[in-house]
Amino acid sequence: MAASISGYTFSSVCYHSANSNSDHEGFLLGEVRHEETVSISDTQISSSELLQVVEVHNHEPCAQLFSFYDYAGQVNEESLNRILKDRRKNVIGWYRFRRNTQQQMSFREQIIHKQLTQLLGVPDLVFLLFSFISTANNSTHALEYVLFRPNRSRYNQRVTLSIPNLGNTSQQEYKVSSVPNTSLNYAKVIKEHGAEFFDKDGVMKDIRTIFQVYGALQDKVQSVCGEVEQSERVKEKVQEEVNKLKQQIVLRKRKTTDEERRLQEAQNPELRLTPEENTEPPETALLSRVAFHTPSTPERPGPSANPPAYSDLLSLQNDSLLPFSSSPTSAALLPRPQAVGSPGHPSPSPLGLGLSAGPNPAPSPGQEDDDEEEDDEDSSEYENLVSEVGQLPPVSAIVLLQGRPAALSPDGDASVRGSQT
Amino acid sequence: MAVSAVHLESDAFLVCMNHALSTEKEEVMGLCIGEVNILLSKSPGLFTQVDTNRIVHIHSVIILRGSDKRKDRVEISPEQLSSAATEADYRLADMTGRPMRVVGWYHSHPHITVWPSHVDVRTQAMYQMMDQGFVGLIFSCFIEDKNTKTGRVLYTCFQSVQAQKGSEYERIEIPIHVVPHEAIGKVCLESAVELPRILCQEEQDTYRKIHSLTHLDPITKIHNGSVFTKNLCSQMSAVSGSLLQWLEDCLEQNRKSIIELQLEKERLTQELATM
Repeated sequence: MAASISGYTFSSVCYHSANSNSDHEGFLLGEVRHEETVSISDTQISSSELLQVVEVHNHEPCAQLFSFYDYAGQVNEESLNRILKDRRKNVIGWYRFRRNTQQQMSFREQIIHKQLTQLLGVPDLVFLLFSFISTANNSTHALEYVLFRPNRSRYNQRVTLSIPNLGNTSQQEYKVSSVPNTSLNYAKVIKEHGAEFFDKDGVMKDIRTIFQVYGALQDKVQSVCGEVEQSERVKEKVQEEVNKLKQQIVLRKRKTTDEERRLQEAQNPELRLTPEENTEPPETALLSRVAFHTPSTPERPGPSANPPAYSDLLSLQNDSLLPFSSSPTSAALLPRPQAVGSPGHPSPSPLGLGLSAGPNPAPSPGQEDDDEEEDDEDSSEYENLVSEVGQLPPVSAIVLLQGRPAALSPDGDASVRGSQT
Repeated sequence: MAVSAVHLESDAFLVCMNHALSTEKEEVMGLCIGEVNILLSKSPGLFTQVDTNRIVHIHSVIILRGSDKRKDRVEISPEQLSSAATEADYRLADMTGRPMRVVGWYHSHPHITVWPSHVDVRTQAMYQMMDQGFVGLIFSCFIEDKNTKTGRVLYTCFQSVQAQKGSEYERIEIPIHVVPHEAIGKVCLESAVELPRILCQEEQDTYRKIHSLTHLDPITKIHNGSVFTKNLCSQMSAVSGSLLQWLEDCLEQNRKSIIELQLEKERLTQELATM
């Protein structure tokens, strides 16, 4: 089995993953072809091999996790149809992007995969796993990807995923000199009959034609690009409006709870509570809410717990640029500790973590690393969803990437990340 | 003043990835456009110390033509740098409303380790002579571990410093973070669609030189013309075609997202009204 994905689709998945504040998942759309290769060997005059080729044409990102399944891994067909709509028939697999995890399917992913195989009616549904790791100082990052076909036997589950590209530009194929030939007949024949290929200016007709094709294609690319640009701006605008509304709702809710509490305190003076964070101005209250938000149940933060957008945080920095406030600026230095097993909310570290963004930060205790080895795979998602501000990057990542040659040995991986499939 | 960190907007990151994955046979390169933010912070302690942190913020990239077709060398010609600087000044500044400039360069390492070679480090040192804050990014792609069938794409950020002994340079690692940017910026989209144009331009220039050779017989001319046609076809299917498909998919995804966002907006408006 061979598989391929276009570079643009691959980059698009990376882009959506980079934008998500947690794990990211979606569906792979494309087709499966069967290619027959005929070969001749000493023992057989012709032996044909049927090669299954999985071609990923594009992807359908899910806006959030748990959008078509619940915490028990039960897939909801209705939600699935809502996400896929008429693209359902083109689904050939699905993908998941995780940070700092092992290169194997989690238990939940396996049970979801089984259900998807049945519901979508694709017997050889594939699963593409992206895992993202970084060095401790965040200067080097690696995105690893493996394509699984879990419905096959245990031993042949991984498939090489190739990215077709331009390859050889073959400019060396131009000939700068002709093969020497003194035959007059040769010169005469090729001149006479070869003239068909050229127009009156001596330019090859084919070249003009292919150039026209190229021109038309490029024009189309430009025009669709223009449409995409417009749609991106519209999407941005509506997203902004939605975010504003969410913020307003949060503020309104907090106001009402404040009023209710004040009313209660007024009625029962002996039950007076100590002043809480909500007496602070809204932005810092929101920031500290994000920092301390570690719910006991793995609940995805609802719209009310909307973390501040990166741009908001940075504008907060620019406003308070010269006054030497340490906690906001360190947040701006590390806007996306995403590679560190956190959900990637810009953690403002009012705890004064003092994480340095300089070229040689202090190495961190690899406490996270041991937990990950033993934990149930399910919890890795919660770790990535929920903010735990005290998290520091695993030391193993340094071992993984510093000075490592491009070709890896399985042992190297295994020693760092535990068991491999 | 060394660079403390690099923030790369995710849409610029997207363009870099597109470019790096466009060919596995040679190194591609481009320039990073953005701005430098200097943040002052007070370090805690008895004696107040002001830390100056220089953050390089990359908003977009410009795809460049390879000036040296040799596989292991990437150098940007002064003309390319100059015209990119001009473009950054006028076009990009207009769009973002803030002055932008060339803040770094990136190139790809297909099938090679992500670490910069000696040539890369020396090239980077040269750029740093004209701009201390100039940063270098490298994208390593088309790496595969045959045993585990794991593919890998890596990226790193570095600058150069003079080595302690001798006159050689060595690299220093600069933290780099990909910063989320929910929509793809206009500048990034325009940079992305430049790639087929640049490839075609390169092919045309090469062919023009060949075509000007008058001593070639018709068969050789036909051969060369066919090579041009073949190469252009290859570019159209591998690059332009895939690019067009991706753009159409983006459009479709955006249409759906906009509808869903409109619905959510209505729902939230109603919720707010009832509060």
